[in-house]
Amino acid sequence: MASAPTSKYNSHSLENESIKRTSRDGVNRDVGEPLPRLPGEIRITDKEVIYICPFNGPIKGRVYITNYRLYLRSLETDSALILDVPLGVISRIEKMGGATSRGENSYGLDITCKDLRNLRFALKQEGHSRRDMFEILTRYAFPLAHSLPIFAFLNEEKFNVDGWTVYNPVEEYRRQGLPNHHWRITFINKCYKLCDTYPALLVVPYRASDEDLRRVATFRSRNRIPATGGGYESDDVYHNAELFFLDIHNIHVMRESLKKVKDIVYPNVEESHWLSSLESTHWLEHIKLVLTGAIQVADKVSSGKSSVVVHCSDGWDRTAQLTSLAMLMLDSFYRSIEGFEILVQKEWISFGHKFASRIGHGDKNHADADRSPIFLQFIDCVWQMSKQFPTAFEFNERFLITILDHLYSCRFGTFLYNCESAREKQKVTERTVSLWSLINSNKDKFKNPFYTKEINRVLYPVASMRHLELWVNYYIRWNPRIKQQQPNPVEQRYMELLALRDEYIKRLDELQLANSAKLSDPSASPSSPSQMMPHVQTHF
Amino acid sequence: MEFAELIRTGQAQAELLRGPEEPPLRGTLCITGHHLMLSPGPQATPDLWLLLLRNVDSIEKRVAGDSGTITLRCKDLRVLQLDIEGVEATLDIARSIEALSSLESVITSFPFFYRPKGLRLGDAWHFHPPECYYKRVARETNAWRLSEANEDFSLCPSYPRAVIVPRAVDDSALARSARFRQGGRFPVLSYYHAPSGTVLLRAGQPLTGPQKRRCSEDEDLLRAVLAGARPGARGFIVDTRSPQAAKQARMTGGGTEAKAAYPGWKRLHRPLETGRPLQESFVRLVEACGDLEQSMDRWLNRLESCRWLSHVKETLSTACLAAQSMEQEGACVLVHGAEGTDSTLLITSLAQLILDPLSRTMAGFQELIEREWIQAGHPFQLRCAHSAFSHARPKHEAPTFLLFLDCVWQLGRQFPLSLEFGEGMLLALFDHAYASPFGTFLCNNEKERCLCEVRTRTHSLWSGLSQPKEQRKLRNPLYVPNPLAIWPSAEPQSLRLWQGDPPPPPWRSSRLCSASLPVLFLLRPVSARDPST
Repeated sequence: MASAPTSKYNSHSLENESIKRTSRDGVNRDVGEPLPRLPGEIRITDKEVIYICPFNGPIKGRVYITNYRLYLRSLETDSALILDVPLGVISRIEKMGGATSRGENSYGLDITCKDLRNLRFALKQEGHSRRDMFEILTRYAFPLAHSLPIFAFLNEEKFNVDGWTVYNPVEEYRRQGLPNHHWRITFINKCYKLCDTYPALLVVPYRASDEDLRRVATFRSRNRIPATGGGYESDDVYHNAELFFLDIHNIHVMRESLKKVKDIVYPNVEESHWLSSLESTHWLEHIKLVLTGAIQVADKVSSGKSSVVVHCSDGWDRTAQLTSLAMLMLDSFYRSIEGFEILVQKEWISFGHKFASRIGHGDKNHADADRSPIFLQFIDCVWQMSKQFPTAFEFNERFLITILDHLYSCRFGTFLYNCESAREKQKVTERTVSLWSLINSNKDKFKNPFYTKEINRVLYPVASMRHLELWVNYYIRWNPRIKQQQPNPVEQRYMELLALRDEYIKRLDELQLANSAKLSDPSASPSSPSQMMPHVQTHF
Repeated sequence: MEFAELIRTGQAQAELLRGPEEPPLRGTLCITGHHLMLSPGPQATPDLWLLLLRNVDSIEKRVAGDSGTITLRCKDLRVLQLDIEGVEATLDIARSIEALSSLESVITSFPFFYRPKGLRLGDAWHFHPPECYYKRVARETNAWRLSEANEDFSLCPSYPRAVIVPRAVDDSALARSARFRQGGRFPVLSYYHAPSGTVLLRAGQPLTGPQKRRCSEDEDLLRAVLAGARPGARGFIVDTRSPQAAKQARMTGGGTEAKAAYPGWKRLHRPLETGRPLQESFVRLVEACGDLEQSMDRWLNRLESCRWLSHVKETLSTACLAAQSMEQEGACVLVHGAEGTDSTLLITSLAQLILDPLSRTMAGFQELIEREWIQAGHPFQLRCAHSAFSHARPKHEAPTFLLFLDCVWQLGRQFPLSLEFGEGMLLALFDHAYASPFGTFLCNNEKERCLCEVRTRTHSLWSGLSQPKEQRKLRNPLYVPNPLAIWPSAEPQSLRLWQGDPPPPPWRSSRLCSASLPVLFLLRPVSARDPST
């Protein structure tokens, strides 16, 4: 919530802290152990390098490369710098300088990451010293090009809950009151023959027979027939249909917009014309348009008794954003941790948002035109909503950032592949761990202490530029001047106060109990101050 | 002068609109010498709505058919609309408000008539006397003394009677230094930072003039400051003007300290805009925030072009510089611009909030405002004569104090647990600085306040705010004393537009629930903040 930026005057020590924070993934780290390792993680190589820190200048360190991560520990006594980067976040590896380059630290590697940062390492020029580091990194960061498995298939982590069981379509539809006399469940897509990017189980209008569906499928782009997301009481979709268009740009515009955001925040934050530079990236404007669209969808669903068919050209980018945001606005269940997991699992993963194409897991084609930050944009919208409704969501900012980090990390199977049929083919649920296992086995870390559960409360965020802000704790988190305090001090203090309140209530109860015992005892003094006690109320 | 002459109307039926979130209020409208009153009848809540006429910044009237509309834009940035039955009544009411809200006389203003139940006159005027602080510093350092050389305000009309100066400098030297400084504002102690043994001073610009005049007593005074700190101590003079502006000031008799004349002192220039440009920035910001019709597409550009946030940024980073010089460089710091009553006070007071945990308590903050703003001679009456809506040609208006409050708000946002007071306190101070039933912000300096007998004839805001029911609104429930310096970030990414209306505390269900929420900054609804109700 509160980003507590810190002064430039002691930024050096903060840099270390902020980089140490990359160990936010719940791996237990023993200080004596030089290299954290997940079960199934194998160390490949290590090398002495100069890390060219964009904030504090060159730092000598030793870099360790495993089949999962790049880990750097400073070798300088006055610096405790640690870098811990899953190879999955790497989008591009470039060589900088050549064997004859002059100038200090001009020869080495420049690594571009999907999470809005670059890592630069300088190596010794003699003996092609960077060649094997380059090759190993390329091999393990882009396993697809080398017929290697993605790390998620090697990860042997065990958790005490199984995240794959979080989402059960039949149960989830039942929670929504489906099937009913308007909608029925069909297994027509069981073998993904009707539509390979749809899940096996679908909810469709009661009166549409499976034969009808087959005919509809041939008519829709990529056979994506209309099916329910959040099922709501409704009349027949096909009567009185109303069309409205939302002026949201395509995936390429979004990708370029995010690139511009990176340009103004990394490594140096644009200072002199911050607000107009931010505006010129159009990132917040796109956020605004997506939220506006979702509000319209939610409004149509909740105000009238109408159903809404949401589609874009293919039905897996904008559609997922709009339906899932609208559901978040309408149904408080999805604002809980598990509810949100189900929402992502259902509207994004199950209904075929092309994660593999949009993120490019393990793929070396960094310039692929299919890449686009559609899911990031969705999470940003969720964050904007959580800012406007600080008590409405069970999860905190860290939850959202963790999801985004593992969107790229390839440690979990959750976001791999483009659709359910591909995931089934690869037996993802059997062979990989779910991100929800990590989160649900350590839920407290991700809880928003201000959460007050309110059933049936509809949230309409304000989608105006005046009320949207850049998510500084995510987009500018690598900059040591923007220090994100973990745990959030306001959340922490609030928990302390809650604990204090509980303690006082307990003591009050004890006193009242003791007092009533005394009152019933005829020998006790009648002038006890008991009259004041029953009316004490706390203000929380 | 009798107020009755200015009141041109008896009463009228009217409906009051107070913003999107509050229901309209219908009732009988009437005007008294100091208030606009609307009485919705005894069953209604509230049964009486009051507006201090001094709060009215601009008034706009429209008549159509047999009724009229008056739009009042208030100094505390509320916008109110009154729909009144009868054309004559509307015009009379508008004329009365115009006349009564522009009265300039201090001693006929409302604080001289305000006699709330439960408060006794003169009670809280000794709440935060700066002398206490000065005596403590004198005792702790042994290098400083309390001087009453300004007892009759003859040395410096904008200083209080008692000031604190180096022990080694006698009163006659002070008098000479005063003649060498603009407005007689010779260097005085503003804050003693015990951990580093350094001091923060403020003054007016030296009157070197084109001839580069010098004043040996003034030089001695600053030499004594360094000598009193510790052997070999250095000093920084933070001039809140650009080097060019400081040089130009010589042409009109001002100037800046010559390097050779003040050994051990180094001059730093950190230009901060005050006066007209700051007022214009404020007006543009309020305009932008109120312009709900405007297409939102270019909002950030527009916000940037108001330049308000750049003022916040420059102010905070200059305050950091002053505080850092003391805490980390172990240097003494003297701050001045030209008059030494505006940007100078911004910097000295903010540097104290950064360094001094005591000033972040409820009592300490009030003491800071009393000592560094009110007694230090910030001309509140001139600066706050009008707010952002007035059509009158600005003369001396400038939202310096609002800029201070905004910077404090940014501090509170960045360190949510470290201030004992909350946003409610800052909003209350803003409101009272522009229009108040209390006497605390009246006049421009102590001398004027003495002439008007403000202390004996009006109530102090500090006693008003100390009422338990007020305190609840002013405190920060999350406060935990923080013994460390709090270094704010002045990066533009760390600053936010102060949106005014306090957000609901997280443990109460969010008001944002309604779809129509927006409430930006400037259109905040009327609250029962007026303590006269």
